[in-house]
Amino acid sequence: MRAAVVGVLLFAGVGVELFCCIGLVAMQGAYDRLHYTAPAGFGAALVAGAILVHEGFSMVADKALLLAGMLLFLSPLIVSVTARAARIRELGGLRPEREELEEP
Amino acid sequence: MNEWLLAASLILIGGIVPCGIVCFLAPAIEALVALELAGSLTAVALILLAEGIHRQPFADLAIVLAALSFVGAIAFARFLEREL
Repeated sequence: MRAAVVGVLLFAGVGVELFCCIGLVAMQGAYDRLHYTAPAGFGAALVAGAILVHEGFSMVADKALLLAGMLLFLSPLIVSVTARAARIRELGGLRPEREELEEP
Repeated sequence: MNEWLLAASLILIGGIVPCGIVCFLAPAIEALVALELAGSLTAVALILLAEGIHRQPFADLAIVLAALSFVGAIAFARFLEREL
């Protein structure tokens, strides 16, 4: 039973990571591709869960949990910083264009 | 080969290679996005390798890589805003 749970968690985590890669390759443009960067943290959390179920609170499991926490917390920050950089690079600043302010 | 090593090789082959292709072929800001995802994937692959071959130092490497990847991504983003 435990082995089945480990297998499901492990390959769900790998599946999430591969889904992020497929999304990155399939999308066009920086903003669309950015949507597939942050979910990688959820894959890391599933992998950490698999290690935790497999061997309990060992050193590797603790480090896997720490890594998952770091990725879950830092990935959205990276997405925000990169989107900001892309907008400044594209338009020269963060101020909205006149067309963006007008009502549709 | 156990299931941990299989998962690590799946991530390394199926994940890092497409990120590398996007990194080389796409414009600079999109290459940065691919680099950020590749950093997360490599950290997860290192944790899986640590579990698969029972070597704890790989887990330390994964944590250090995740932290440095975050700092590097912010530095690249700042440079890409105007300079490059």
